[in-house]
Amino acid sequence: MITAQIEVSGLAKRIGDVEAVRDATFVAAPGRVTGFLGPNGAGKSTTLRMLLGLARPDSGAALIGGRRYAELSDPTGTVGAVLDLAGAHPAMTARGHLRSFAALGGHRAERVEEVAGLTGMAEYLDRRVGGFSTGMRQRLSLATALLGDPAVLVLDEPSNGLDPAGIVWLRTFLREFAAKGGTVLISSHVLTELQHGIDDLVLIDRGRTTWSGPLDAFTSHGTSLEAAFLELTSGAESSPVPTADATATAIEGIRA
Amino acid sequence: MTRLLRGEVAKLFATRLPLWSLVTAALCGGGLTALLSLIGPENATPPLPGLDTPEGVGIVVGMSGLLLFVPALIGTIAVTGEYRHRTIGTTFLAAPRRGRVLAAKLLVFGALGVAYGVVSSLFAGLAVVAGAAVQGVELGVSVGALLALLARLALAAAVYMVLGVAIGALARHQLLAVGIVLGYFYFLEHVLMIIPGVNVIHPFLPGGATAALTDFTFLGDAIAEQLPMAAASTTSPIVGALVLLGYAVVAAWLAIAIPLRRDLR
Repeated sequence: MITAQIEVSGLAKRIGDVEAVRDATFVAAPGRVTGFLGPNGAGKSTTLRMLLGLARPDSGAALIGGRRYAELSDPTGTVGAVLDLAGAHPAMTARGHLRSFAALGGHRAERVEEVAGLTGMAEYLDRRVGGFSTGMRQRLSLATALLGDPAVLVLDEPSNGLDPAGIVWLRTFLREFAAKGGTVLISSHVLTELQHGIDDLVLIDRGRTTWSGPLDAFTSHGTSLEAAFLELTSGAESSPVPTADATATAIEGIRA
Repeated sequence: MTRLLRGEVAKLFATRLPLWSLVTAALCGGGLTALLSLIGPENATPPLPGLDTPEGVGIVVGMSGLLLFVPALIGTIAVTGEYRHRTIGTTFLAAPRRGRVLAAKLLVFGALGVAYGVVSSLFAGLAVVAGAAVQGVELGVSVGALLALLARLALAAAVYMVLGVAIGALARHQLLAVGIVLGYFYFLEHVLMIIPGVNVIHPFLPGGATAALTDFTFLGDAIAEQLPMAAASTTSPIVGALVLLGYAVVAAWLAIAIPLRRDLR
């Protein structure tokens, strides 16, 4: 596998009157699963959309393997993305959907069966997407992301709608992907969802990345991940690099 | 670009849209023409010229031109469906050069539009020939003239489908785009046609150009009979064809250029 690193620096984006992202700076390294954690509305999705060329940053840069997404010679062969913006047409069968996007991405038609096998949806291939459960849709989205056998996976809140077994399955899948040298960037607003499956953590709050580094280093300075998270996402507006002894206060939108 | 075309064709055939488009084309082309042919235009109220006159054939066949908003709607619904079902994100991830994606889409739907037009015209032609046979009259035009008229209608259908795709790509919201297409072809253009002074531009509006292309001035003439004004004029079929193609090119260019900078939400 050709590896590729994600590098985001000084990314900013205003949407209407809201500064959705003010300063997002972090790295997601090959061979590691990087969690992108922040409360609802912190700017996670906007950052990922800018990384994937679906939205234009006002300033800053987001690079994958040293290039902007739009400059990649084989975009879906380099990066696979699971986003709520990347849907499937309800009238298509899963097979029709995967075939179409294999053709569009320039990938072999045999990949359709392969990715269906990888994501455990082989027996659903000839069903129409309109009748799929949320969990099956997420699997289809992941299957689509894997069509080009990418070195990088970017997932925006992929556990939404997955049952506990599905969440464990996804975690295992991503760990194995990273173990083979892949880069995984996974966003979530749910702490407990990330804490068992990630190597590195990037924290974003009110449009600004407030902390990044190995998960071990993050938990070692607090009593628990939850306490450390609450500490770092509170009052971050005034201090971009909060200290470990900042007072922990609960903020809206966090579910542990 | 070949890859994008293959992708768009694969997407199109992964749904039943091509099948339903052609069934609709057969119904729209054949249905109205068959109905009028069998009733006999001279039995209509008020009586129209019969099928044994060139005018009669023109009106009966040209009537299917009133249903040109159908291919436009097919194009609009297909392209706005990408936004509605959020497949446009998947598409732009696979092909970040959005202009090329839209160009491929316009080409593919242009081809579907030609297929729509051919099927629609084929059924309209069969219906008018069958209608004349049932009534035992000689068709008022030569086979060559009938084929030429049908070919012009087919061209118009293809152009309307491309226009529909372009409007959909620009409006993005499905209901809004459908509203624009129906509102324009059913309402706005007819209003523009009857306002004195403004109706001088009618020949250069899509509907006026279509009327010129298909020699179908029935509506304009009917309005002129009811109102104390001159009929909205039309240009020659060639100019009409050029005007229509011009609209398609401008709409396609806008549809390729504008989505480039827009953010997906």
